[in-house]
Amino acid sequence: MQEQLVSFLSALMDQTGLAHFWWGNLVMIAIGCVMIYLAVAKRYEPLLLVGIGFSCIISNVPGSDLIQPGGLFNYAYQGVALLIVPPLIFFGVGAMTDFAPMIANPKLVILGAAAHLGIFVALIGAKLLGFTLNEAGAIGIIGGADGPMAIFVTMKLAPHLLPQISVAAYSYMALMPLIQPPVMKLLTTREERLIRMKQSRQVTRLEKIAFPIVIGVIVNLFFPPVAPLITMLMLGNLFREVLVVDRLAKTAANDLMNVIIICLTVAIGSTMSADSFLTVDTLLIVGLGLVAFVFGTASGVIGAKVMNLFLAEKINPLLGSAGIASVPIAARVSHIVALREDKENYLIYHAMGPNLAGVFGTAISGGIMLALLGVK
Amino acid sequence: MVMPDTVYGAALLSLIDFFLSMVMISGIGVVLALFPLLNRLGRVDEAALRKSSH
Repeated sequence: MQEQLVSFLSALMDQTGLAHFWWGNLVMIAIGCVMIYLAVAKRYEPLLLVGIGFSCIISNVPGSDLIQPGGLFNYAYQGVALLIVPPLIFFGVGAMTDFAPMIANPKLVILGAAAHLGIFVALIGAKLLGFTLNEAGAIGIIGGADGPMAIFVTMKLAPHLLPQISVAAYSYMALMPLIQPPVMKLLTTREERLIRMKQSRQVTRLEKIAFPIVIGVIVNLFFPPVAPLITMLMLGNLFREVLVVDRLAKTAANDLMNVIIICLTVAIGSTMSADSFLTVDTLLIVGLGLVAFVFGTASGVIGAKVMNLFLAEKINPLLGSAGIASVPIAARVSHIVALREDKENYLIYHAMGPNLAGVFGTAISGGIMLALLGVK
Repeated sequence: MVMPDTVYGAALLSLIDFFLSMVMISGIGVVLALFPLLNRLGRVDEAALRKSSH
């Protein structure tokens, strides 16, 4: 009788998650709780961190069916793995975004590429640290500061690194107001930070409608590997700019976007199991991500200063750091740093130009990288 | 073209990617600089578009 009872309890124990629980799960549950705390108490990226934090906690409770094949979190992850979610995020972003600052000031577009040196510094750094070239490419793209693009490229190059790379990319995007200003100040003089920009020209409705169509054709023609993302960005933007399908534009920008954010956050969090996340590689990737952001910011500012050598009408070099894609956080940082020097120097509209160009810069870098690595 | 999985390959990939990115984004800049020419084709009646919004 006693033996039977022990055997029964042992079988019962095996069916629960308790038998497979180890200290790593406890650490990851604590990390999930910290994410939720940061979102609720500190308002750090709550739209992302609440979902990621909760699904991180659940995925570290051994035995949870939600992350197993057939579970709902697993289906959400399939949306990421099959590259459905990232293009849909871009679709919503396109429907929210006014590209007029980029169209109005084409010379600032180059800053969208200049601010991506961080991608390559992190890439070479990752290779030196022993990652494969495909993994290094995926790690480098963190420096593009573009969450969906980082996920997209990672799923093509090194899907097993998705949790580390997506968490690093989104975390550093949230921390940009802390990371960028010291670098920007270090590389500019007060006189440079005081430069005021001339008011941009008015962009007409015809130009705004033509923009997504022209860019959609260019991207599909030259960068097929990343075309799904930019094409959906442009479709969302076309819905916004034609003015005749407001319902669709609003759905893409609000309801659909919210649904996709839920799927994305749940998918990312559900991949953060202790077994795959608590590794030395994770620490290296997080470190390389920081290096990428610092170098990206620096190269953007230096790029703007180089442009000033050739321009009769000087631009404020603080615009350079906005070339990192993260929209609109990087543009806002440029604006705030300029405001600290001169309370009437409003850079936000001008900074949105390189900031939006940064989205294309990251996409182009990612597309070329995939092509050079022979990945379709 | 597939890069060798070495530090040299990483450096070469970075160099080519950075250079081509600069060229391509400059190309987009040139296309955007031509956008004001579109306005010679005419103008879009925004009020009419908004009126017919679905």
